[in-house]
Amino acid sequence: MASISRIRPPRTRFMPRDPRVESPYRMTPQIALRLGVLGALVLFAFAVLFFRLWALQVLSGERYLAAAQNNQLRTIRVEAPRGPIYDDRGRTIVGNKLANVVRVWPASLSRRTRPRVFAKLSGVLQIPVAELQRTFREQHRADPLKPVTLAEGVSNDVVSYLKERIREFPGLTIERTYLRSYPSGPIAAQLLGHVGSVTPEQVKSRRYRNGDHVGQSGIEAAYDRYLRGRAGLASLRVDSLGRPRGRPRYSDYFQQGLALRLTLDAKLQRAAERALEYGIQVAHNGDPPQWAANGGAVVALDPRDGSVRALASNPTFDPRVYLGRPKQNDLKPLLDPEAAKAANYPGLNRAIAGLYPPGSTFKPVTALAAMRERLASAYATLPCVGSMEIDGTKFNNWNPYANEAMTLPHAIAASCDTYFYQLGLAFYRLPAQFGSPLQKWASAFGFGKMSGLDVGGEESGLLPTPQWRRKNFPNEIDKLWKSGDSVQLAIGQKDLLVTPLQMARFYALVANGGKLVTPHLVSSVEQPGSRGAAKPVFASPPRPVNVQPDELRAVREGLYEATHASYGTSSGVFGSFPIKIAGKTGTAEKYVEVGSFAGMMDQSWWCGYGPTDSAKLVVCVVIENGGHGGTAAAPAALKVFESYFGKKAYTQQYVPSD
Amino acid sequence: MADYAAPLTPRVRRRRAEATGAVAFLRRLDWIMLAAVAGLVSFGLWVVDGITRLDVPGDPEYYVTRQSVFALVGTVGMIGVLFVDPDYYRRYRKVVYGLMIALLLVVMALGTDARGSTRWIELGFFRFQPSEFGKLLLALFLAGLLAGRARRINELRTTLVAVGAAALPTVLVFMQPDIGTALSYGAILGACLFFAGTPWRHLAILAALAALVGATVLWFAPSLGVDILAPYQRDRLAAFMNPSENPQGAAYNINQSMTAVGAGGTAGRGVAGATQTNLDYLPEHHTDFVFASLAEQRGFVGAAILLSLYLLLIWRGIRVIATARDPFCATVAGAIVFALLFQVFVNVGMTIGIAPITGIPLPFVSVGGSSMVTNLLAVGMLQAIAVRRR
Repeated sequence: MASISRIRPPRTRFMPRDPRVESPYRMTPQIALRLGVLGALVLFAFAVLFFRLWALQVLSGERYLAAAQNNQLRTIRVEAPRGPIYDDRGRTIVGNKLANVVRVWPASLSRRTRPRVFAKLSGVLQIPVAELQRTFREQHRADPLKPVTLAEGVSNDVVSYLKERIREFPGLTIERTYLRSYPSGPIAAQLLGHVGSVTPEQVKSRRYRNGDHVGQSGIEAAYDRYLRGRAGLASLRVDSLGRPRGRPRYSDYFQQGLALRLTLDAKLQRAAERALEYGIQVAHNGDPPQWAANGGAVVALDPRDGSVRALASNPTFDPRVYLGRPKQNDLKPLLDPEAAKAANYPGLNRAIAGLYPPGSTFKPVTALAAMRERLASAYATLPCVGSMEIDGTKFNNWNPYANEAMTLPHAIAASCDTYFYQLGLAFYRLPAQFGSPLQKWASAFGFGKMSGLDVGGEESGLLPTPQWRRKNFPNEIDKLWKSGDSVQLAIGQKDLLVTPLQMARFYALVANGGKLVTPHLVSSVEQPGSRGAAKPVFASPPRPVNVQPDELRAVREGLYEATHASYGTSSGVFGSFPIKIAGKTGTAEKYVEVGSFAGMMDQSWWCGYGPTDSAKLVVCVVIENGGHGGTAAAPAALKVFESYFGKKAYTQQYVPSD
Repeated sequence: MADYAAPLTPRVRRRRAEATGAVAFLRRLDWIMLAAVAGLVSFGLWVVDGITRLDVPGDPEYYVTRQSVFALVGTVGMIGVLFVDPDYYRRYRKVVYGLMIALLLVVMALGTDARGSTRWIELGFFRFQPSEFGKLLLALFLAGLLAGRARRINELRTTLVAVGAAALPTVLVFMQPDIGTALSYGAILGACLFFAGTPWRHLAILAALAALVGATVLWFAPSLGVDILAPYQRDRLAAFMNPSENPQGAAYNINQSMTAVGAGGTAGRGVAGATQTNLDYLPEHHTDFVFASLAEQRGFVGAAILLSLYLLLIWRGIRVIATARDPFCATVAGAIVFALLFQVFVNVGMTIGIAPITGIPLPFVSVGGSSMVTNLLAVGMLQAIAVRRR
């Protein structure tokens, strides 16, 4: 340096001299000091960096390496496919099918690009933008780290379209999942129920995890424990946004849910649902036309053990509306009270939760109770007249011209109201210490309480008693149990409310010789696909009720005459059916509101069993606002029997009936 | 130097002088510094190649190609700067200042938004970041300003004028918002004052003021309900103070970055094994956190090589300051060297948890055209001062 400064620097055109620099610049002590400071700073800074790096990388490198390796593996739960549901012969009613799911990772969809991406997706997936936004917001709030499911059950065409243009949709992934399928067609929708995402309340119960799919109603919910299977655990290599890189490696393979074998007969179920539609149609075309007939229910039970063979409710819906990401419009009749009312509550399972007064179908209950309490004798006659005046009120027979002495079977067959008014009055006049024997027996026959159906969702109905009146009415007069209450109860009218299932259960008791069955739907839980390895689900065995065989015989005789005697109320329907059917019609008045009409309307009932002597099937049909029992319900019930026995009735004719 | 022994014809003398001029020019270049820079650029490109392999699907060479082009442009610029006498900058310092302010205002008006801040001007092929370029302009301007007032350097007024002049671009950058670059501007101001000979007294006052402003921004103003920093900026600082507090939130970057650095170990995990980088755990791994990726892939050895190259560059830079022709050149060189040190320290420091996270790129390595070109121009400036040394 010294040698350079001594020699005058060579002048070149690169280095013009600045005239203002008069004397050569010399490093002052001040600058030297400051340079020293800078040098020290540099050394210090680099020393800090080096030591820190040394500490991080060399001394604790192992620890950070482990942390980095843990970073990328994420344990995921893999939901198991649900178990299938078979009918009694092993036909699949509910199965699984592979479906495409469109999901989006919230982290890779920025707030600003979201509207644009959703607008495009909306067109492709046919889902309104507002709905996509709402779905996204809801799921994102619930769990911001998980991908948001935008659509399930997307068609393969749409999937390949999306896959080709995946770059236009940041964060979009297409995965496979299992959705429910219904190979036997849309039958028993209310009964089977649906599968849906777990609700926040269910998550709180700790049995389920967020994002699980859980049976939310019907069989799917009642047997969710078996159907659900066990979710698997897998580790997945993921990037920082949690997007999978590579395939999951299972540490614990998922276990498919167990299969349910139902007692239900898919063919009979279909026939029952068609029978309901037929019954409603018949009511519409009746004379007079029952324009308001708009719903109904069918219960078909095996009276020997209470297994449910068919359980239909009308109006119904297609269970597929719940699949994938359900469309709100399709679900409206099932969820929205207004829309449900307009569609006459298709989500309601009327067979187990529909409440109706039973009308004349209740008369065998009165008959059995009266015989047990020694208030009537099967073959002693009572007058059957056109009307009766009891405590100043005139009670009419359905046939105003009736005027003859009737035995109990005859009264059941001809459905004589005045005969049963007298029985009701006899019950009413019993001294107070006897209590309410009619209600006691009705209760013993299963009325006023749930039958214990394994699916749940039942209504218990209403069995009116003096105590009930006292408790539930404000007015002193209304609190009193009057003669009219007993008289009306005897023919299944006024306050009494029953479900078709309760009615079927009672007729099963009549058919099987006095045993109260517990209706049930599931016969066994088995490994899917492997017949035989079945674990039977034991239903409670039929419980004998204390009825005498001869008394029961009288009732059965009445029921048989009802379908075969000239004075029988449904002889015209069942008279020519090759299998001997016994059963009772009912016409029950119920206050209804249909459209702009509000008032009493006839609910059409028919309950019975066949073959008469060794009953294999009990059928109970109710057609809402269907008019007389023989008009709508009996022909519908015949259809069910026809399907069950594989035989047709030769002729059918309309008989005016009760 | 036997030339002086015998007189030569003017023609021969001129030719000789030219020849010796060119040769002298080349000889006076700081070749060791150039070697350090060449090492940094090529090491940086090699590292970036490994780091960005998976960032653009289908084009593993995307970033490294662009970065090479910028390095080439920067080298050409660096050579160009060599031929300009630094004194021109001093003479036209007002133009320099006007250019800087104009560029920053243009960004404000026409800039492109990216992740919530407006720092870039879209220029088709690349996005020009004027604030990066502004670092150099600010150093030139402040050095010129202070050199012009060399006789009055002890007056408080001089210091205040310099601070005031630097405050305008700093505030403009701060408003983009770009705290990292704004801090760099502050560092450049400090370095200029320091090497122009501002009295220690003034420097102490300024340091105290800076500390006060920092404390106000961080603690006093928020406690009064006035938020000068954006929430994310405050969170980052809070995370720096206490990284284990909120591992998924603001401290995420620090934790992931330290994990990446630590996992690199002595020899590194290689390109394929660097999961922190490849699986995107490390945010911004080609720009702000490039050092963490480098440390993960190349280990302590690679990081040490890089730091050594920086040390070499800075050491040669100090030599340039010491031998500068005049106070202006010394101040410019001092500002450049200090800015380099500042950027390296803060960037590397933030990836290993000893400095808060601010968006300061790592010179010569972080992907970014403006930064690469500016840093090469700065080296050109140092060389231009070196060849014109005493």
